[in-house]
Amino acid sequence: MARLFIFAIGGTGSRVLKSLTMLLASGIKIKSQREFEIVPIIIDPHKSNEDLKRTERLLGNYQSITSEVGLGNGFFNTKITTLDKLVSSENRISGSFTFNLQQVSNTRFKDYIDFNQMNQSSKALADILFSGKSINKRHEEVDLLDIEMDIGFVGNPNIGSVVLNQFKDSDEFKEVASNFNSEDRVFIISSIFGGTGAAGFPTILKNIRDAMNNKNIDGKGFLQDAKIGAVTVLPYFNIEKDKDSPIQKSDFIGKTKAALYYYKDNVTGNNSVNSLYYIADDYSGKPYKNDPGDGGQKNDAHFVELASALAIIDFLETSDKELECVGGKAVSPIYKEFGIRNETAEIKLSDFEDYTERKVSLRLSQLALFRKFLNEHLSNSLEKEAWSNDKPEINKKFVDDSFYRTNLTEFLISFGEWLKEMSENRRGFSPFNLDSTLDSLIQDRTIKSSFFSSKVDFAMYDDKLSKKSKGKTYSSSQQKLINLFFETTEDILTTKFGLKN
Amino acid sequence: MDPITNFFASLFEWFGINPFYNKDLGDHLRGYDITCDPNFIGTHWYSLIGCAMIVLSVLCYVLQYHALDRFRYNRCKHWWIFAALLFTLNFIIGFTIPYNSIQSAEYCPQLVLTNTNCLGFGISNAIWSFIIFLLLTSFKYPRYLANNCRYTTCWKP
Repeated sequence: MARLFIFAIGGTGSRVLKSLTMLLASGIKIKSQREFEIVPIIIDPHKSNEDLKRTERLLGNYQSITSEVGLGNGFFNTKITTLDKLVSSENRISGSFTFNLQQVSNTRFKDYIDFNQMNQSSKALADILFSGKSINKRHEEVDLLDIEMDIGFVGNPNIGSVVLNQFKDSDEFKEVASNFNSEDRVFIISSIFGGTGAAGFPTILKNIRDAMNNKNIDGKGFLQDAKIGAVTVLPYFNIEKDKDSPIQKSDFIGKTKAALYYYKDNVTGNNSVNSLYYIADDYSGKPYKNDPGDGGQKNDAHFVELASALAIIDFLETSDKELECVGGKAVSPIYKEFGIRNETAEIKLSDFEDYTERKVSLRLSQLALFRKFLNEHLSNSLEKEAWSNDKPEINKKFVDDSFYRTNLTEFLISFGEWLKEMSENRRGFSPFNLDSTLDSLIQDRTIKSSFFSSKVDFAMYDDKLSKKSKGKTYSSSQQKLINLFFETTEDILTTKFGLKN
Repeated sequence: MDPITNFFASLFEWFGINPFYNKDLGDHLRGYDITCDPNFIGTHWYSLIGCAMIVLSVLCYVLQYHALDRFRYNRCKHWWIFAALLFTLNFIIGFTIPYNSIQSAEYCPQLVLTNTNCLGFGISNAIWSFIIFLLLTSFKYPRYLANNCRYTTCWKP
């Protein structure tokens, strides 16, 4: 199986990765020449970032679910793995999804670059390059050189580019390089208007393309000519005004322009990327809390992150021929944007263009329908309905097991929160009425009903589950739950709601 | 007497024990009619009532397990409701037929038939319908051919 190494940089990286995980959990079909295994690597110095922690937890649950039920069950149909699982020999790296940035925790930038050991002229140069003010984790104003990097780079890509350059000598990068095959691909997720992402994207890209000059790594040839895709997220959200904060909305455009200007020569200008996706939204909606990082940085999910995750799916569906590289340069680089059919503050499934609607609508609706049943009706059906009693049984003991109680329940809670956050955000994405009755689950969709067709309710749901379960064999209760609900929700949504497969 | 009548006679009379009604009612149901002909030339009520009892039991099973076969009717309490309906219906049939014969005096005058005997036969008919329904639904097949009720028995779910 080929691998897609995803470098998710900064808070936006984590949030896009979360959206991708939701899409993969929903069973979205990737129509590519081969199957891919996803290897996410989150790069964020801000370890207490809530978005990062939520994404890590989500990925952990996804991994536990797939290791229990296997692939080919509809939901959770793509393997997501940690880098350490690829390493067969001496295991030098931890089994987490995050890249371990060295000497960042409780370290001031000044100490990281050994400022005090520098001679006078170097100090003067550093003073010029890193002039200005920022805040520390106690929300006190400090010189940029005194910034403590465990809350991130606080919108300063000049600091980020120095610190993230350690990537090329890291164990993680060495493992990626030595496990990288010709069929594998790389995708980099970053935002352009902050600190970590804007600095991390060109740094990582450069280190991959310059792999031939790196004496510390193996597998250089494959890596240098890797098929690389990237999404660079341009400003897409509004933040509260706070005159004491180093993060200001008014700086977003300036920073974006500066970064794009840099990319013009060092990213797009030198054909380093095979496929680059630009995603932005100029809609000035509900502002986020102005949190430079000291408050934990927990931002609500946003539709742009879902669109960015779709860029990864699109990249995987791009043929090898279109992503050809020679001498570390893309032969015919591709640049893409994302659009929707209708300009609206609250996006629904019907606002998608046809391709996106076909790609997303049915699968996301299936996961929403699955979640709804487990939340609202499973306890009524356990040990009573035929599908529950069919071997292997899905009984009360099963729901007390950690697979259901921890992994799946937590995952579906996160899925619900993700949908809720996106629907409450502005621009919002609210395809579902999560608290409504089953028949009005999907916004803008009316049920196909006739005198002879049954009502869409939990009785009908149970009936369909029992029909699907009849005579089937499953390897375990866990696999049965995932597979049976995928098939049943697909049936209900295509026959009753008229969604296309 | 034909073998079907003999078969049902032995069922309803509990293989000779006959705990619910007297021998005279048994003779009447075998076809010992108003002519008192020893060849039992009258209506063979045992065969008719027995066949009706089996057909009704099967229909009751088909109704719950295949015609309705709904989420709303697949608990053990629903099994008991269907069983109670079947029991009542067969009791009524078993009671009414000999009772009508008594009321219209269409039986051999040598026989002593009472309402209590009619009640007894009604109970016997009802119990056999219950047993057949129980047998039809206690084993994996044919119950397992149902969608929603394939695990519905008198004891679960």
